[in-house]
Amino acid sequence: MLQVLFQGLHRNTAILDQLLTDTTGPAETPVIELRNIHKSYGDLEVIKGVDLTAHKGDVIALIGSSGSGKSTLLRCVNLLETAQQGDIVISGEPVSWSHETANRSPKDADQVRRFRTNLSMVFQQFNLWSHLSVLQNVTEAPVTVLGRDRADAEAFGRALLEKVGIADKADMYPSQLSGGQQQRAAIARALAMEPSAMLFDEPTSALDPETEAEVVTVIRELAAEGRTMLLVTHDMKMAREVANHVIFLHQGVIEEQGTPDQVFKQTKSTRLQQFLSSTQ
Amino acid sequence: MFEICAEPRSLEGLTWLSCYLTTPKHAAMYYSILTVLGLLLAVVPPILFLGFAGALARRSKIAPVRWLGVGYTSIVRGVPDIVFFLFFPIALDQAVEYIRHKIKCADVLEPVYQGNDFVVCQAAKMPLGIADQFYHEAWGFSLAVITFAIVFGAFTANTLHGALNAVPKGQLETARAFGMSERQTFWRVHMPQMWVYALPGLSNLWMILIKATPLLFLLGVKDIVYWAKELGGMKTQVYTYAHPDWRIWYFGALLVFYLFLTWVSQRAFDRIFARASRGLSVAS
Ligand SMILES: Nc1ncnc2c1ncn2[C@@H]1O[C@H](COP(=O)(O)OP(=O)(O)O)[C@@H](O)[C@H]1O
Ligand SMILES: [Mg+2]
Repeated sequence: MLQVLFQGLHRNTAILDQLLTDTTGPAETPVIELRNIHKSYGDLEVIKGVDLTAHKGDVIALIGSSGSGKSTLLRCVNLLETAQQGDIVISGEPVSWSHETANRSPKDADQVRRFRTNLSMVFQQFNLWSHLSVLQNVTEAPVTVLGRDRADAEAFGRALLEKVGIADKADMYPSQLSGGQQQRAAIARALAMEPSAMLFDEPTSALDPETEAEVVTVIRELAAEGRTMLLVTHDMKMAREVANHVIFLHQGVIEEQGTPDQVFKQTKSTRLQQFLSSTQ
Repeated sequence: MFEICAEPRSLEGLTWLSCYLTTPKHAAMYYSILTVLGLLLAVVPPILFLGFAGALARRSKIAPVRWLGVGYTSIVRGVPDIVFFLFFPIALDQAVEYIRHKIKCADVLEPVYQGNDFVVCQAAKMPLGIADQFYHEAWGFSLAVITFAIVFGAFTANTLHGALNAVPKGQLETARAFGMSERQTFWRVHMPQMWVYALPGLSNLWMILIKATPLLFLLGVKDIVYWAKELGGMKTQVYTYAHPDWRIWYFGALLVFYLFLTWVSQRAFDRIFARASRGLSVAS
């Protein structure tokens, strides 16, 4: 009897200990953590050892010239591409690989799906499903993948379309929308998954300057809400405005990184200086 | 049919014609229209089944399955249809009878192939010699359905294969990026988007199928073309008629029949296409 009491007491203090160390211990687990990522296509090494950490609320802009590997890196994060080397840890959970050789692949299909639903992607070419209406695009994955109730998903979907300013387009098909409207629909679709981070691959590059502004406004709002985002972009103005951390990628390695002020105003590397002057 | 037709000699002009067109032989011709329509309806499910099987086999990750798909589509597509319509029913018929012979008449010692003859015991005949005429026709009809399905299944497989490939890769990749499994990606995105690329080819195949139904004649099924030829002629195997050569009228009626069938089909396909291409810019 005494022994049982003692054990219970012991267990309680152990939990108490843990609670104490949790609050005083290391900072929150990062939403996305990449360590030493390598990716090749055949003999062509596209990503050559990249580290990246995104904490909750971080907006990280990835900049760099065309072909520097920005898209590839983003696609490695949600496992659309398989990085041959390195660790990918999502909210503290590392991707489990089939084996640790160059032709490894993710082992656990459920984990892959779980990670992907947690990291919603917005593509340069929008990629709205063309056979579905705008609202159906927004509700499709929440209903079929997350198993949400359809009526709930529709109500939430309409609210998101309202938020990005295209509530009146809910029942139209993507092909009937302008580029800017399509991209905003794509952002609403990504938001509908309630992801812990969003991945943007040049969301404004396929748009003309006028509609581009609509999309930038939406992204700025999302950043202000404290959403975690990885943002590949050519738009230095947007990068400066919305990001709290900027990474300059050059030929598959991080050439320079820091706060927007450090990267844009106190540029150190000559390559970044050249790149920035070419985008002026 | 009609009372007045009982005494042919008393009839004149159109009255005679109305009697003439209602003879039992003509009833057989009208019935053969149902045979044609029945065949068209009966072959669609197996054609689509073989079409999908062939198309999916060609996309398989397993090499032998892929070879099977490629083999099926290229062999059937590379051989003239008429050769297949001559070859398959006989091959199928003999294969079935051969197997039944081996099972049912194991005690018969004479070989099945005796010189130029293919001889199986009575019990192995398909259908049995003593069977009702209906079974003979049903067996012939089934052979026809299978042959049509094999031939048109290969063309369909090719059309579906092309259509599956035509769906933009970004659409499928996005489905995966949102966590859909391969199965969900296929059923929720790939299939619904595939139709719009497949339908023009499929409607074409349907028209060719309609126009190929007279090949039933080769399979021993008495279809509408057979009857038109028989009844339109002056003197044929079936009967000696008291009218001149009317084949031109009968064939003319056939022409109208087939034109009507294809016209209705075209309209139906236009509707289906409009439905399938909703939202897709390829429609315009
Ligand atoms: N699927 C692929 N197969 C082969 N090479 C590829 C593939 N995708 C990208 N690449 C190559 O990888 C490099 C980086 O591409 P990408 O990541 O798209 O660059 P960025 O997005 O920075 O413009 C380029 O040289 C590109 O040609
Ligand atoms: Mg890119």
